[in-house]
Amino acid sequence: MFKAVTESARRIWGVTVLAVRASLRTKGVTALLVLLAVCVGVLPNVVKGDGTPEGELHILLAYTLGFAFGILCLATLWAACALFAAEIDSERMSLSAVKPVRAAEFWVGKWFALLLLNAALLLAVYAGVYAQVLWRMHRKGWEEADRPASRRVTRPELPTPREEARQTLELMRQKNLTPKGLAEKAILRTLEERAQDKYDVINPGEQVRWQFRLLRPLREGAPVTVRVTFDTEYSTREHVKGVCRLGCRERPGKTVEVALDDFTRNALEFVVDTRAFSQGSGGRGQESGGAGGALQNFELTFAHAGDPKKASALMVRFRQDVALLTPGGSFEANLARAACVHWGVLALLAAFGLTLSACFSLPVAAFVATVLLVLTLVGNSVAEVISEEDASLWQNRVGIWVSRGVHEASLRAMQAAPLTALTRGERIEGGVLGASLAWNGLLLPLCFAAAGCWVLRRREMADAG
Amino acid sequence: MEVEKVIETRGLRKTFRDFWRRPTVEAVKGLDFSVRQGEVFGMLGPNGSGKSTTLKMLLGLLHPTKGEIRVLGAAPSDTRVKARIGYLPEVSHLHPFLTPRETLMYYASLFGMAHGEAVRRTAELLSMVDLTQAADRAVGRFSKGMARRVGLAQALVNAPELLILDEPTSGLDPIGCREVKDLVCLLAKSGVTVLMTSHLLSDVEDVCDRVAILDRGALRAEGKIADLLRKPEAVRFLIEGLSSEAVAALRSEIEERAGCRVQLDYPAMSLESFFLQVVAQDGRLRTFEMAPFLRATQGTREGEGGACSKL
Repeated sequence: MFKAVTESARRIWGVTVLAVRASLRTKGVTALLVLLAVCVGVLPNVVKGDGTPEGELHILLAYTLGFAFGILCLATLWAACALFAAEIDSERMSLSAVKPVRAAEFWVGKWFALLLLNAALLLAVYAGVYAQVLWRMHRKGWEEADRPASRRVTRPELPTPREEARQTLELMRQKNLTPKGLAEKAILRTLEERAQDKYDVINPGEQVRWQFRLLRPLREGAPVTVRVTFDTEYSTREHVKGVCRLGCRERPGKTVEVALDDFTRNALEFVVDTRAFSQGSGGRGQESGGAGGALQNFELTFAHAGDPKKASALMVRFRQDVALLTPGGSFEANLARAACVHWGVLALLAAFGLTLSACFSLPVAAFVATVLLVLTLVGNSVAEVISEEDASLWQNRVGIWVSRGVHEASLRAMQAAPLTALTRGERIEGGVLGASLAWNGLLLPLCFAAAGCWVLRRREMADAG
Repeated sequence: MEVEKVIETRGLRKTFRDFWRRPTVEAVKGLDFSVRQGEVFGMLGPNGSGKSTTLKMLLGLLHPTKGEIRVLGAAPSDTRVKARIGYLPEVSHLHPFLTPRETLMYYASLFGMAHGEAVRRTAELLSMVDLTQAADRAVGRFSKGMARRVGLAQALVNAPELLILDEPTSGLDPIGCREVKDLVCLLAKSGVTVLMTSHLLSDVEDVCDRVAILDRGALRAEGKIADLLRKPEAVRFLIEGLSSEAVAALRSEIEERAGCRVQLDYPAMSLESFFLQVVAQDGRLRTFEMAPFLRATQGTREGEGGACSKL
């Protein structure tokens, strides 16, 4: 048993080494390195920012990393498409296929090669970007508040979208408002989707309150950042005039008050020093007993102070637009987590390309891969507009099932959104990272591997003559 | 005792189809043949006769449309069988960016060989095919003959029990051809079963014990070369140093006594023999020294030189 495993590992490693050598000794990799070097070295110096540290960070973390990752995605996809297809097309595979190597060993060996190459390239890209962040911080003497950070995000305590959907359905039943001819499952799904992006309206003079429970208690003295983004009914830019009050349940009777005067659609952020809850400093707080100990439960209120006759009603998506940010590790660790998320996505693309490569010739595989990638990205919007009424015909039902499946799979694949987190200074949580790696780097590749190996076992590795 | 059959096919058929699954060519039509352990079996036939297709089916690279194949007692797709086979395709199909050393190390790794063992075998094989000096140059820059040597070395890296060679002398100069034929004979003597295809009749005649002749996908003849070529009604005397008078006298004597026609013939060297004799004067002709690991893993079949005894 041990001997069989060792021999199998040697075969896989042999295939990996060959694929790495093949990649490194082609001009394609040189071109890719030049592109990445231009992207990391030149792009941040060419794109004009707004001159603020925040703007520069945005260019480095969103544009530079985004472009580099995009290039790596396409390169990985096309390289994966070439790995089997080119070998089979040129009949080189016929020499390897007569050796005692299983289809799975070929597949895994080539996939590992792409994982290794991607790890090296991602490391170089992220190191280049990090070096530029350090250099700018040093050269321009950014203040502590401007430096990139990693903060835990806590959303308000609300019922889950599913719970909210059930409550809404119950209310609809009581009022006899349930749509006719639709299954309860379909109604619940629609309600759940709506709950996720639901806006709540705050009219002038009204006040709303949100409760927060931090995942990890906060030591006193640590800063808490409040972030709220408002919108209006027609997404027009309006003035936000109001008062935010942050209180802590562990320090009752004490609040920190901040007046907001900015525009809608901007992320309004302010930092609260938690010592204010016990010492009376910061804002117009009142003294209370209970100093010392960890802080975990917070309450945020917002009072719309606009003129009831002139000001617009403000809209907030409670599940997305309101958050408390607390310190959550170092920026470097967050950068490493973002790189891991990207690595997982590249692993998924590599698996996808390899399986196509096992099925088709190189041009066909590359074309199909690119088209499917674009369709997957566009298909999300298609899946969103499909309604349950369309499911009357079996073809439609199949279409809905496929588009929803692709939609769900791609949503999970993209869920971690590392660049958004990095630019907003939000910590990529271990759970999100783990889920992303498990989904993109293990489960979906396993499905693709199974399909690819099935094809490889059945495909003829030579042609006539 | 019956000799074990290393390869056996029954009713083997292969029909190539187009994209729409419509049959285009019937390359092999109900082929039945077997190769016995330890013999050098030649498959002869003109271009398009189905030789390479048959080999590819024996190797599991193509799937038969109908019929049965047993190689070393199992189906060709069985990885345990593949571990005991060496294969040299008609065109070597090597990775052009790899050096011969890397190429052999790669194929050794596909057999699950330990690194040390792979390094040793690679060095021995490179020495055997006389490529030690060029071991670290990219194969893509090699001449066809040199690439063929690398191809041959990779086919032997696992010390195979069955060696399948598709046109092994294709693209080689007469010296290279001779070396390959010598090697086939050496391997055959050490107990390796060899199946080779060729459309060069002299190659097959020089090394093969038995042959099968294929034409348009069907088996036309099969058997030992000596049996196939024998003319029982004719007798040949080879006499050296006779004067023309003595020849004339002998001829009339035989015709008179036996009452049959005598055909006179002055045997010449084959062009290949003459060429090799000329080249040998420069010391360029060498014989493959079997890699020690091949000698150690194979047995011997002394006294069964077969066709090889002619070389």
